[in-house]
Amino acid sequence: MYLVATTVPPSGESEIMDKPPVRIVLAKIGLDGHDRGIKVVARGLRDAGFHVIYAGLWQTPESVVRTVADEDADWLGLSILSGAHMTLVPRVLHLLRQAGLEHVGVIVGGIIPESDVPKLLELGVARVFGPGTPIPEIVEFLRGRTPAPSAS
Amino acid sequence: MSTATERSAKERWEQEVAQAMSRPQPPTTVSGVPIEPLYTPESLPGFDYDAELGYPGQYPFTRGVHATMYRGRLWTMRQFAGFGTPRQTNQRFKFLLEKGQTGLSTAFDLPTLMGLDSDDPRAVGEVGRLGVAVSTLDDIRQLYDGIDLEQVSVSMTINAPAIVIMAFYLANAQDRGWDWKKLRGTIQNDILKEFHAQNEFVFPPEPHVRLVIDVIEFCTRHVPQWNPVSISGYHIREAGSTAVQELAFTLADGFHYVEQTMARGLAVDDFAGRLSFFFNAHNDIFEEVAKYRAARQLWAETMRHTYGARKEASWKLRFHCQTAGCSLQDKQPEVNLIRVAYQALAGVLGGCQSLHTNSMDETLALPTEHAVTLALRTQQVLAYETGVTNTVDPLGGSYFVEALTRQMADEARRYFDRLQQQGGVIAGIENGFFRREIAEAAYAYQRDVDAGRKIIVGVNAFTEAEEKPIDILVIDDTVEKDRIAALRAIKAARSNEEVRRHLDAIRRTAEAGENLMPVLIEAARARVTVGEAINAMADVFGRYDGAAKW
Amino acid sequence: MGNRQEIRELCQRFAAHDRQALSRLLTLASRGEQLEEIRHLVGAARAAPLDGQRGSPSRRVVAITGSPGVGKSTLVGRLIEVLRHQGSSVAVLACDPQSPLTGGALLGDRFRMPSRPEDPQVFIRSLATPGGRGAIPEHIDLMVALLQAFGFAWVILETVGAGQGETAVRHVADVVVLLVQPEAGDDIQWEKAGLFEVADLIVVHKADLPGADKVEAQIRTLVNLPGCREVPVLRVSSHQKEGLEELVKQIEILASQSRTSASSAKARLRDLLRERFVQAFEQLGGQAEELVRGWEEGRLSDEEVFAEVIERMASSSPSAN
Repeated sequence: MYLVATTVPPSGESEIMDKPPVRIVLAKIGLDGHDRGIKVVARGLRDAGFHVIYAGLWQTPESVVRTVADEDADWLGLSILSGAHMTLVPRVLHLLRQAGLEHVGVIVGGIIPESDVPKLLELGVARVFGPGTPIPEIVEFLRGRTPAPSAS
Repeated sequence: MSTATERSAKERWEQEVAQAMSRPQPPTTVSGVPIEPLYTPESLPGFDYDAELGYPGQYPFTRGVHATMYRGRLWTMRQFAGFGTPRQTNQRFKFLLEKGQTGLSTAFDLPTLMGLDSDDPRAVGEVGRLGVAVSTLDDIRQLYDGIDLEQVSVSMTINAPAIVIMAFYLANAQDRGWDWKKLRGTIQNDILKEFHAQNEFVFPPEPHVRLVIDVIEFCTRHVPQWNPVSISGYHIREAGSTAVQELAFTLADGFHYVEQTMARGLAVDDFAGRLSFFFNAHNDIFEEVAKYRAARQLWAETMRHTYGARKEASWKLRFHCQTAGCSLQDKQPEVNLIRVAYQALAGVLGGCQSLHTNSMDETLALPTEHAVTLALRTQQVLAYETGVTNTVDPLGGSYFVEALTRQMADEARRYFDRLQQQGGVIAGIENGFFRREIAEAAYAYQRDVDAGRKIIVGVNAFTEAEEKPIDILVIDDTVEKDRIAALRAIKAARSNEEVRRHLDAIRRTAEAGENLMPVLIEAARARVTVGEAINAMADVFGRYDGAAKW
Repeated sequence: MGNRQEIRELCQRFAAHDRQALSRLLTLASRGEQLEEIRHLVGAARAAPLDGQRGSPSRRVVAITGSPGVGKSTLVGRLIEVLRHQGSSVAVLACDPQSPLTGGALLGDRFRMPSRPEDPQVFIRSLATPGGRGAIPEHIDLMVALLQAFGFAWVILETVGAGQGETAVRHVADVVVLLVQPEAGDDIQWEKAGLFEVADLIVVHKADLPGADKVEAQIRTLVNLPGCREVPVLRVSSHQKEGLEELVKQIEILASQSRTSASSAKARLRDLLRERFVQAFEQLGGQAEELVRGWEEGRLSDEEVFAEVIERMASSSPSAN
């Protein structure tokens, strides 16, 4: 083999966190470009010790699922303010299941009418966060509910 | 000039303040600017009434752009509306006019805003949802059907495909026999703030700005009463900026448009008078008022001295104002009515020319008719019952407001310098400057709220255990099918040969760097769609993925 | 996590070209878990190239480095487009810094890299890189090996680009590409950072901006001093999509040289030895302290110290085949 060595000397100092960091993909699906919320959440989760993979704007359900798969994420956070959540979120959940990624937890943020929340939860969304949700609330939820990363 | 007794009064006051209890958080504006406990003449060293304020309707317009302000004419009460099919929105327009609204404001759906037709696969789930879906000239025709376009001023909130929609509007007006010279209204057509904040753009910044200038140039020559651009800080603020950032970035955008239009060979006085602005009205009344006053002052100063404008009309910053959507909460939504009322007050105390008041239910869905009516009534109470319209610039001369206005203008000038050092607005877009500044401000604000340093009623204080749901508007899912069917029918009936010819003409004109308006107006009549026109331009301009800058 | 049964299953799925097994194994490798198993796996795996380009044994590992803001991710995105256009498969390991205080990280690079979700021949993984450890994360060599064993012809490493510890990428990458851009000021920042020393190829990025000529001229005078190895300088504009094919061609040339050129191989081996030696010394822990004292007091000769370290090296050598 052409690779014979670890490239970086293993350091003696202890890790800041004893548990491996939680990886979360944050993405906006659909056409709306309002990214204030998702950017604030991205920074907030970073400062709470998460590894945040920012997939950005204009993602399709297909591209989001690909990102989750390749990044081996524990969570997927979808931001949507355009009202298309009942079209797009079920599609994401379906594709996740199809890809064997049902262990990935999904949270949704944005403008979601009260009446749609139970429908989303029933479809498999772990939690819906409205506009202006305090970051600590999201952190607490994710910490308490991080799905066990499974090898299978 | 201070005498011994004055000094001692001041000293006594200072002593009292030092001993008094104060609230745990040092008072700051919504944007985090620290505020002194008291403002006095000492807060305004070297204050010069004539140079800094002057008389309303006169340079530098700090006190307002009209001599009489609301004693002469009230602001235009203009509620943004649009959803579903053009016919549905047309009905909402007529409803609003009947309720006493004095101007129309059109909201388009996301696919249209992104230059996509209703039948585009990327539009799935979004057709007619946040605004009206418009793909062809026929849609524009239905949208304004039965409305006297020479009498009612019409505003259209659209940017990336603004030139295409404007072409549809003008083709429709002409076909209906309206005189272009009598049309009044505004098209937002401000692409720069899309790059900073709202992310509705298609092409790279430079060709996109060129299209903005095409509209300005064409309207200057042919539609003289139309406002061809509404230079917008609103969305910058909604994206989380501070008040100063909103002010500075908006004016910097405006200066860029002025420079680019002058570079076309237009004289500044031929077009500057039709440039209009659009600002946010957030919760902090005095900060907002100072922002509007500083904006007028800075614009007048720069138009006169930097760009050499000689007409008074070119110096005047006229603006539309909308209450801050980002301040609305989904908790205890009726409380939003109160927020909106105070924000509207700020807009009026700041001398706005037109005003949109948000509806209380907008964090939940599109507003219901009940909510829209209450929002409009808020403006009417403000106009007819509160007395704030009785005199011009009622806050002028307040030590506090004048000091804050000065401070705001100074900080904006510092931003202008920083932008200049980077090579201007386009460079600031390319290197992510605007997006970073705004995102950091948004995060700082959220941390203040999360830590309880800023109180939001019903959210981090005074919460209710049981939230009472309110009625919301539900858009039925048949709209998408309806729009796709209508579009198919139009495509089947038109001559595809002719469409191809028009698309070629669009490409050629884009390539040649000539004004695209005339070919787009002709293309509209051949039923070229919004998406087709945008794609043809993208063939020449390319597409931009700059939202990655953050 | 990852018990024996699970890891065996993962390895089987990996061998059967299961992309999610690859993804999971990359995570394990990045955390330093199951390293033995993974080393064994990549040693044994001889996957057919994903893109089916037979007769091209060349597997490229390219590092893209340069200061933050120079456009590394954007360029990587463009390289993906060009390589896919040429029919090559490509995997990217994109590194961003991790906060030393919270351990958190904001990994935003993939956002700038267009990838079509239906294209199985592109793979992008974002990695957080702890500070003070250099520009690339631990065990990245193993991650590269996993991607190659899975069949990716090109592996692109995007470094944090903080300027420090960039030398580490030299051991993983065949070719190190340094990006510089036209600067407003006169200062040449990259020189200070010592980045020139690691670069095999220097790209003047954003070459459509004013000042590109000046920067290019400055670099040429700096890198092509008499007696120094020749470093090609290229102009690329990701914005205008110019210079990209030429860049790929140059990388190909340099990569083949880095394999064949004896002097280059010698230099690489020398770097590697130096690093392994120091590493072994540090691994001695408490024993190192004693060696230092003994050496300082003259009780131990240089040779005796070397012997101790060499012995340590031999005993801790990774079990690569």
